[in-house]
Amino acid sequence: MGVVAASALLGPLGWMWHASLVPDTYSVMEMGHAEFGGGPGGATAAHQHDHQHDHGSVAHVGGSQPVDLVSLAGPRGRPADVRETLVAREEQIRVASEHTVEGYTLNHDSPGPEIRAKRGQLVEVRLVNESVSDGVTLHWHGVHVPNAEDGVAGVTQDAVQVGQDYVYRFVADQTGTFWYHSHQDSHEQVPKGLFGALVVTPAEPSGPSDAVDVLAQVHTYDGRRTVNGRVGASRVPAEPGARARVRVINTDNGLMRTWVSGAPYRVVAVDGVDLNAPEPVRDTAFALPAGGRVDLELSVPTDGSAARVGLGGATALLLGPEDASAPPGAEPSASVDLLDYGSPAAVAFDPDEADRRFTYDIGRRPGFLDGRPGLWWTINGHTFPDLPMYVVSEHDVVRVRLENSSGEAHPMHLHGHHALVLSRNGRPVTGSPWWTDSLDIDDGDSYELAFVADNPGIWMFHCHDLPHAVEGLVTHLAYEDVAEPFVVGGPAGNRPE
Amino acid sequence: MKSVYRVLAYLIAAGVVLQMADIAYAWFGVLNEVDSGAVLDENFEGNAGHALHGILGMTLIPLLGLVLLIVSFFAKVPGGVKWAAVVFGVIVLQVLLAFVSFGVPVIGLLHGVNALVLLGVAAMAAQKANGAGLPMHGGARSSGTRVS
Repeated sequence: MGVVAASALLGPLGWMWHASLVPDTYSVMEMGHAEFGGGPGGATAAHQHDHQHDHGSVAHVGGSQPVDLVSLAGPRGRPADVRETLVAREEQIRVASEHTVEGYTLNHDSPGPEIRAKRGQLVEVRLVNESVSDGVTLHWHGVHVPNAEDGVAGVTQDAVQVGQDYVYRFVADQTGTFWYHSHQDSHEQVPKGLFGALVVTPAEPSGPSDAVDVLAQVHTYDGRRTVNGRVGASRVPAEPGARARVRVINTDNGLMRTWVSGAPYRVVAVDGVDLNAPEPVRDTAFALPAGGRVDLELSVPTDGSAARVGLGGATALLLGPEDASAPPGAEPSASVDLLDYGSPAAVAFDPDEADRRFTYDIGRRPGFLDGRPGLWWTINGHTFPDLPMYVVSEHDVVRVRLENSSGEAHPMHLHGHHALVLSRNGRPVTGSPWWTDSLDIDDGDSYELAFVADNPGIWMFHCHDLPHAVEGLVTHLAYEDVAEPFVVGGPAGNRPE
Repeated sequence: MKSVYRVLAYLIAAGVVLQMADIAYAWFGVLNEVDSGAVLDENFEGNAGHALHGILGMTLIPLLGLVLLIVSFFAKVPGGVKWAAVVFGVIVLQVLLAFVSFGVPVIGLLHGVNALVLLGVAAMAAQKANGAGLPMHGGARSSGTRVS
């Protein structure tokens, strides 16, 4: 009878353990189950097409002749307007005078070089891997690049191995603040420095030419919070009265608060999209999700003192004349709420005419993930890899209801698109249209989002608290009839998370 | 089998003591790091103490508890299955309390108290398996039969 009792206990556990194992190599198209959101495709039911191809077997959803993902690339055959070569290395990063960390650099620096382009320019970035043994990629966070330029190992390309290079080409069609980072082993490579900023300015300069335009790339290296690679407060020279645009990028894994002391400020753009009619605020912080960007506009005080842009802890930018005194910069408790900030404006599509409606419900439950016991994230009640894949057709209006009852906050990032926030917990947005690519969903909150499916491909839709992605909070938005030639694992050792 | 049962139960008890030690080490380490300029926020993933606490608490101790329960079916320890089941239940509760505590830190008080409960029941289970080979007043065999 002991054997029976032991089997009754071990049998189900063993079965659950075995069922959770993930193969070393798989296509993301074979992962989980397709959801069609009430749109077409349900009848043809996600049958996998396997046929031989240059890259091996190819999987896609849909009935027609698929388009190879690789062909969804940026313009070739004409000279680029902005060219940059980024050389990735494993080496030490000096964070503070007494503190160095083992990390990753681009052109011997972390953050990597700032790339600036004017709207409409063709950007070409050649990524060279000199010494990152796990391989690297570059993902253009927030930029609607063609799918093959999205830089996700195992989804849109193979990881670039030591000695190899890869050329990204895309037209910078959106003005705003963006960033790039590795999407190979990203939970390891991004925290250890493999990232940089991309700023796209209007084709014709707007505003006064003496305006200050400064980046604030916030990053925590081994517990040290930095801005633009430096700990503590950094000075930014600015004339009294000068207008300044501060582009804050949260390259970390958690929500951060930023605020201005010594001057009022306006939130002029979120995730690279301008807000409509933003009003000045004071003694109020902005809560910036992991991966998100916010542009703050302020005027340097005319009395010769500096304005202080607080970035959490002692990290700050001081804008003003050299040696100007700066206010102490206590963190305000109030936060800007984008639900009712700025003024409404028309948007180019009607979210009520949705072709597809999806639910992305994040929870947590005990079980096994690839054989490891623990409490793991779930999407719509399932753990990785049994997750939904959201299938859309080009030109669809797509609505997504994001819910979180998992006990922790999740900064959700959709690749290749911005989504319009419609409501939070049933309260509609009454301020400026709020477009986002990185949205923090607090525990207990739900959001309604809508977007137009206008960028065909296979796009990751995942948590940007990067360890959470490793723990299975990763799914995909898949356009019908796009063939996926790449695999996770495989000879290239692709590990996008 | 009886001595395997006893050793497993003592290992679980020893694991609890180690967990108390490593979590103290973990948080003193944090205080020390913060003193030398580290920032504690969502990016903080813990130090060696936290890692050890996680591995022992999430994997090793639950595994020991499961093995103890399986061994109890064969060990013919008086009340052995009951105590192994209690130990395993208290371990599961301990893990659940930990995860609830991330969202509701006050539950962490129960996580601390429940650790001592686990230490107690594990030691009790080990005691039940003591005196292997000694005649039990109608003990080992009938207990074994009751279970089967």
